[in-house]
Amino acid sequence: MSKKQRSRYSLGYLISQAFKSLFRNGMMSVASIAVLMSCLTVMGSFALLVYNINYNLDQLGSLNEIVVYCDTDLSDEDVDAIGRRVRLMDNVNEEAVKLITKEEVLIEERQKYSEFTDLFDQMDQSGVNPYPDTFVIQYEDNNKVSALQMELEQIEGVHKVQCRADLAETIESLKNSIIFIFMWFLVILFLVSVFVIINTIKLAVHSRKQEISIMRYVGATRWFITTPFVIEGIIIGVVSSGIAYAIEYFLYRTVYNAVSVNYGMIDIVPFGELQNVLLIGFAAVGIITGIIGTSISLSKHLKA
Amino acid sequence: MIEFKNVCKKYPNGTLALDDVSLKIDDGEFVFIVGESGAGKSTMLKTLFREEKISSGTLIVDGYDLRKTPNRKIPHYRRNLGIVFQDFRLFPNKTVFENVAFAMRAIGVPSRDINRRVPTILRIVNLQDKAKSFPRELSGGEQQRVALARALANNPSIIIADEPTGNIDPKLSLEIMNLLIKIHKHGKTVIVVTHEKNFVDYFQQRVITIKDGHVVDDKVGGMFDE
Ligand SMILES: Nc1ncnc2c1ncn2[C@@H]1O[C@H](COP(=O)(O)OP(=O)(O)OP(=O)(O)O)[C@@H](O)[C@H]1O
Ligand SMILES: [Mg+2]
Repeated sequence: MSKKQRSRYSLGYLISQAFKSLFRNGMMSVASIAVLMSCLTVMGSFALLVYNINYNLDQLGSLNEIVVYCDTDLSDEDVDAIGRRVRLMDNVNEEAVKLITKEEVLIEERQKYSEFTDLFDQMDQSGVNPYPDTFVIQYEDNNKVSALQMELEQIEGVHKVQCRADLAETIESLKNSIIFIFMWFLVILFLVSVFVIINTIKLAVHSRKQEISIMRYVGATRWFITTPFVIEGIIIGVVSSGIAYAIEYFLYRTVYNAVSVNYGMIDIVPFGELQNVLLIGFAAVGIITGIIGTSISLSKHLKA
Repeated sequence: MIEFKNVCKKYPNGTLALDDVSLKIDDGEFVFIVGESGAGKSTMLKTLFREEKISSGTLIVDGYDLRKTPNRKIPHYRRNLGIVFQDFRLFPNKTVFENVAFAMRAIGVPSRDINRRVPTILRIVNLQDKAKSFPRELSGGEQQRVALARALANNPSIIIADEPTGNIDPKLSLEIMNLLIKIHKHGKTVIVVTHEKNFVDYFQQRVITIKDGHVVDDKVGGMFDE
């Protein structure tokens, strides 16, 4: 009998032992799969939620807009001159400098406040347009935005510069705190999962105590004794992550449909874009928890 | 060969169970170990199969210096020993065949070899007709023979038995002792801890007497005297 055949034979035996043990401790195995699965589902949902929040926040933050209000008493030529200067500035996206003329503003306002027609009629009569010409500028680099703002403010005829940088900053710090909370949440769920696995495997080890002691007496190697338990832990991990993935799939679809129908402004990342990461993440966490939990519970039970 | 040289064993709670034990057991010898309760007999056997590590001195078994042998080599060392306990330690939900086969599976022997060897071993302990029985269907003597068969499964050169007849009807004890003698005659080293004065006196083998962790008597053809 060659060594290779021998070890292949052994591996089959060890795997069958793992399954036997899983069934022997039926209730406990089911319980630990349920708990690990729940932890994974909660972890996964939370991760997807955070991802989507960040995605939406990013879209808000990526407006990268500065609004420049001109003085109200400028001639059209003055306004054009400002426009030309702005286009040549550093950090300004030439193509995305948009002028909203005071006439356009007036029309917009008139539509917005249609119940105050008399007010606008009065303005027409007096020939005074109180609105400023406005440039909406898209910039390229978020970090250099305050320099740009200062430059813009120095231009003759510019009344006021309004920047969305403060918004971007708020969004950034909001994102950071969400991620921070999320990380702690993950750590806690991970510890809970490991703890549950430890107890399952401990029970499995306990129910096979006599078997283990006889194995040791007849000279079974540590590898041979521990492998079925490790496989058992991995099976628990794989089954849990499989179920968690399926649950997540349906959950996400339901939420996706509900949100895109009712809240058009919220953008949800399609499941297809996330499924691989999610599946790999689940499998990795499931298997790693299985292995770590098993190793910890075995180290106490087995000496030489 | 087994050699104890000034061996001491102190348990973590401070009990000195073996105190300066020195003795040699040659290959193929048959040895009774006797002594009153708490003398240190079981401890001595435990140091032999490295369930317990000795605290000082030297213990060499078949070339293994047990104080220096690393844990990872212990499984292979143990394959050279067959161990039998007073309480049999059989698996109640496995057949006689599977109980014996378990010892082989545990060290990765292929099924084909197991199927061939188990019947042979069951024949040695005269249980060839009980292969399919479960332990609860057997007498104490038969159960101990299954345990002995399991100890023999991997063909060790040393058999260690801690009060093998302690849980057995006296009438059936003799067959266990006879079996151990038979195994010894097939060339194996056999070490038997026992309280059974009759057998010790009857079989006229080497007798080592232990008291308070010391060897107080060691003679061939010895008698049981406490
Ligand atoms: N694991 C242990 N921890 C601490 N003390 C122990 C341990 N095992 C045995 N002892 C002590 O060591 C001494 C020797 O015990 P041992 O079991 O070797 O005696 P024994 O000769 O086998 O007795 P018996 O005939 O009753 O089986 C006793 O005092 C016992 O209480
Ligand atoms: Mg004892």
